[in-house]
Amino acid sequence: MVEPYYQFTTTTTLLLLLAFYGGTFLMSLLVRHKNENVDGYMVSSGQVGFGISAASMTATWIWAASFYAAASSAYTYGLSGAMHYGFWGALMILFIYPFGQRFRKLAPNAHTLGELMHARHGSSSQLILALSNVLGSSISLMVNFTAAGAVVSILSPLSFVHGVLIAGIGTLAYTFWSGFRASILTDVAQLIALMGVAVIIIPWVMFSAGGPEVMVQGLERLTAEQADFFSRTAILEQGAPFFVAVLAYAIGNQTIAQRLFAVRQDLIKPTFLTATLGYGAVVIGLGMIGLMALLLGVQPDGGDLNNIIPQMASTYLPPFMIGLFFLLVVASLSSTADADLTALSAIMMTDVYAKNIVKGRADPQKMLLIGRLTMIVATMVGLILASFALDILVMLVFVGALWGTVVFPVIASCYWPRVTNRAFTWAVLGGMLLFTTVRFELLPMVGVVGFGFEMIAAVGAGVVAGLMSFGFFGRTVGLAVGLIATLVSAWYFAGFLGDYTVLLASLVAYGASTIICVALSLMSQEHFDFDLIAQRVRRFQATDAQPDETGAVPAPQPSPAE
Amino acid sequence: MTTLWLTLYILIWPSISAVVLFVIVRGFFRDMRAARQAGRDMV
Repeated sequence: MVEPYYQFTTTTTLLLLLAFYGGTFLMSLLVRHKNENVDGYMVSSGQVGFGISAASMTATWIWAASFYAAASSAYTYGLSGAMHYGFWGALMILFIYPFGQRFRKLAPNAHTLGELMHARHGSSSQLILALSNVLGSSISLMVNFTAAGAVVSILSPLSFVHGVLIAGIGTLAYTFWSGFRASILTDVAQLIALMGVAVIIIPWVMFSAGGPEVMVQGLERLTAEQADFFSRTAILEQGAPFFVAVLAYAIGNQTIAQRLFAVRQDLIKPTFLTATLGYGAVVIGLGMIGLMALLLGVQPDGGDLNNIIPQMASTYLPPFMIGLFFLLVVASLSSTADADLTALSAIMMTDVYAKNIVKGRADPQKMLLIGRLTMIVATMVGLILASFALDILVMLVFVGALWGTVVFPVIASCYWPRVTNRAFTWAVLGGMLLFTTVRFELLPMVGVVGFGFEMIAAVGAGVVAGLMSFGFFGRTVGLAVGLIATLVSAWYFAGFLGDYTVLLASLVAYGASTIICVALSLMSQEHFDFDLIAQRVRRFQATDAQPDETGAVPAPQPSPAE
Repeated sequence: MTTLWLTLYILIWPSISAVVLFVIVRGFFRDMRAARQAGRDMV
């Protein structure tokens, strides 16, 4: 049997990995201070420029699973498949920025979104966000280390565990000391590597495989659904569930929140617009390799769609380019893994230690110690989960649902003074309960029960559309779009959506949490003063710097001699 | 679908990526220059 993958020697593989992780480690030394500032360790100066912010946001959001999944989607659904992954993923970045501007305005000195919720509501809503991110980032670490093990074992004589260990230790080495500052600086080099390689290998594969004429001939292989750019199957099975997740993953994810709190406030919009374009172009572009595989009649090795990209690279790229492809995969997984490490450390430092254990009387040196210990523990957990190939992806379902249920309560808490901690907490718990009922089919989705859940899902669809409109066009347009979307969805979903469990469950999470949050808030007499948030969310380490016009206090810059 | 359209559909994405990469790298060097002039760290 012919080996479908090119094989590097052990020496070449180790040299490539040494060049990558050695280079990023040396780069991190450029910003290293003997005495790191605790705020800088979590969000840098809060005044990071456009280039680094856009590079970091793009690199963080692109992980190995992004382009593997985009290629799988293209291979499965044909012409529109890559779009139904990459386009919606890109929109996640786009739709967060109006809300991000609001978060920064309310809490210019925040380190985590949970910290903002703590100032607004108290501990329970904060810890819900913290818990969801601990789970989400742990899973993300595992997935990225697994991707490293997979690519190393496929393209070299080294084993899966070797790849996992090298990626874990390499990422920890350059992130450990300077935290977020090292993460975003190395993201620049990682983004240049992954984007630069993507720009070259996509056309290379196309022309190496025979060029456009051969691709056009391959159109005959497509089914009617695969050849239809507006395929209903692709929309309902891939596009719609992902579209619904747009706001959830953007709002709930600390890796995004951290970058929102780090970038200079007036640069949030250009940063996130650029990252939207960058993410979309790279992921859809690499997804096109899956489409090319489909057009060429390539069969995925072992029937595993995740093998399509390595197989295509091995078949149609020369050894030097396969080396660059290898670096692309390592760069994408490392940039996301280091973001997860810094996100986890910020959550443990701020949300757990500072706000809940010592309740505001935080010692910066202890915080740094906790942050670094968190990184070590998180890396070990990620390595163990990846090495033993534990099947914990079911947890991702819960994390996605948890993030879906927090979307409305978080956003409403930042605009509507009547939302209470009780409304927030019960909205999330109620949303999770109903989500679980649908997702795991604890009740048959037929008759009155099915209709009831479909109507809650219709509210969820209205919430998604309404919030997206609200972010860009304000309250009146948001309410109007939300109402119309709810009515149209109710008509369309009745007796139909029950057959699409994943989509129904995701929309129920949004709809149920919104209904509960609105109902309990309307019953409350609260009228929260939003100015209190900025007073309650402060830098942890003393600084002589004066607040800028936005209210943000730049983190002190230790002298290079320190 | 014609050869032209399929070619454009596949190659438009690396083209956009190249433009975005240029914009980001240019921004990075501007950040670096601004930090150097102000005598502070970039991050």
